[in-house]
Amino acid sequence: MTLSALSYNDLPLVLARLQTLGELHAPLRGSDGAVRFGPLPPGAQPDLTAQRSLLPPKKYLLAPSETILTYHPATGYQAPPQPETPLILLGLHPCDLAAIAYLDRLFMAADSPDPLYTARRERLILIGASCTPDQYCSCHQMPSPLPAACDLFLHQQADGLLLHVESPKGQLLREALQDLLQSTPAQQPPASTRDHFGSASVATSHEELDPNLPDWQQLADHCLGCGACSICCPTCSCFEVLEFGGLDGCSAERLRRWDNCLFKSHSEVAGGHSFQKDRAQRFRYRYRHKYRGYGQLRGLPTCVGCGRCRVQCPTGLDLRPLAERLERSTP
Amino acid sequence: MNTSLPQAARIGAIRHLTDDTALFTLQLDERPAEHQSSPAHFQPGQFLQLSVAGAGEAPISYCGFPSSDGSIELCIRKAGRVTAALHAAALGDQVAVRGPFGHGFPLSHYAGQDLLLMAGGLGMAPLRSLLLALLHQRERYGRLTLLYGAKAPEALLFRHELADLASRKDLQLRLAVDRAGECPPGLPDCRVALLPALLEGLTVDPQRTVVALCGPPAAYRFLVPPLLERGIPPQQIHLSLERRMHCGMGHCGHCAVGTLLCCTDGPVFAYSALQTIEGAL
Repeated sequence: MTLSALSYNDLPLVLARLQTLGELHAPLRGSDGAVRFGPLPPGAQPDLTAQRSLLPPKKYLLAPSETILTYHPATGYQAPPQPETPLILLGLHPCDLAAIAYLDRLFMAADSPDPLYTARRERLILIGASCTPDQYCSCHQMPSPLPAACDLFLHQQADGLLLHVESPKGQLLREALQDLLQSTPAQQPPASTRDHFGSASVATSHEELDPNLPDWQQLADHCLGCGACSICCPTCSCFEVLEFGGLDGCSAERLRRWDNCLFKSHSEVAGGHSFQKDRAQRFRYRYRHKYRGYGQLRGLPTCVGCGRCRVQCPTGLDLRPLAERLERSTP
Repeated sequence: MNTSLPQAARIGAIRHLTDDTALFTLQLDERPAEHQSSPAHFQPGQFLQLSVAGAGEAPISYCGFPSSDGSIELCIRKAGRVTAALHAAALGDQVAVRGPFGHGFPLSHYAGQDLLLMAGGLGMAPLRSLLLALLHQRERYGRLTLLYGAKAPEALLFRHELADLASRKDLQLRLAVDRAGECPPGLPDCRVALLPALLEGLTVDPQRTVVALCGPPAAYRFLVPPLLERGIPPQQIHLSLERRMHCGMGHCGHCAVGTLLCCTDGPVFAYSALQTIEGAL
């Protein structure tokens, strides 16, 4: 029996209990109306009906800007220490869970794991929550092969929550919450947007993109190059690396910072040569990552249909209609 | 081995090759065990990430022969922040390296083949690594030819080594320069021509020839067609691509060529893998 019931009245008790088990972060609506994942103050209620957070949860795994190495002549380059206390993220929608599953595959590949990402990921406990798609969501139109994996999943029902254990970590959490949960006659988790994820049958086209399609130039003509689409994308994970010398003249700090493939500088090498000179070309770069995947993850589309880029683009650009044409028309 | 953490090394030797390019020999602080994964154990065509503290990190092709003593040769032109800092460094200064990364030239498939190496400018650096490996077991390979083009005679890298190569009977060397100048002693004539012109009159058996190409990004577009015209199959033309590569591990997302990643799928690719990819060359 992996399903338990939780009444909405008992939710504050569950949240308080979770706060004793680790740092608890959840979606909170700010005074500006935007929803952000952040630390849940004691006694506060998360906004579990919010559509999508401004930034995706990737910020917990790959910070917008972070120190990856420090240097001192006596010690050489060293990785900064990472906190080990559990960080519980509650209220993650299936699309954001699928995005984390993608980042895990990218940054925790067996032959080349990223130690910083791995340390952060290991302290995370993921509690998913069911959601209702709006006009910007597209998970229901284009299923993703990425699984919406988590530790616990909360099905939001009219009369309460159904809690589904998804992993050994989730089982431990459930045991810690045992006295606050009720049994339920439900045998199977109810249908939800989660069902659009983890489908093995999604195939991508292996043909090269046709640079002569007019769509690329139309997209490029309307793009302001602001970078919002990749900041808010839960699977955009390009980073650039910068190093700064210390004022003592011998120490140094190396940072990585989110980057955007629609910037011309993204493909520049020493000497100033850029490999993606025009914006239409850069749109194809973005498209390939979102719908075809690259490197070891070739064939794995990364768009999870969260809709953030559609919401945030100041000129309303949208790659989806093109993807529906190009990816569905091929066998 | 943790390939995300740079390992300390020192500058053991600096040999100035031209006014802006030098051969640096680095010595790892910790000498690696024989079969241990180490930045000093590599295949020609692979690359490492070189760190100069305060300046940052840059991907650099290996230029030497894999050593057992933890030394690494890198031929570096002063082109950006990291390489400028390296050129300003002195013997004994500390640097750091990560690697090796990527796929190099598939040497094990070269046995019994004729090898045609074509280098343009700094492309001589990774091809020197390949050439040293081929000469190390010269008897394993067929005909060996090096075609090398530079801006001017004084811009030719490794001039002393080229003179040694010119005197060998088991290797054919042809040189081209964009601008006429006095040819260094001991070298064959430097033709004022573009690199592909050196193919004229060269006997090539297309079925048993592998071409290893390395040059500036723009050069490939005019280097590859004359090879195809001579009947060399696309899968036997191997070239090394340059891209922005921050991590070397397929994470940073900067080096995609189509859906291939230069850092993990390359940087050495068969032309057959690239020929349908927009912007690859």
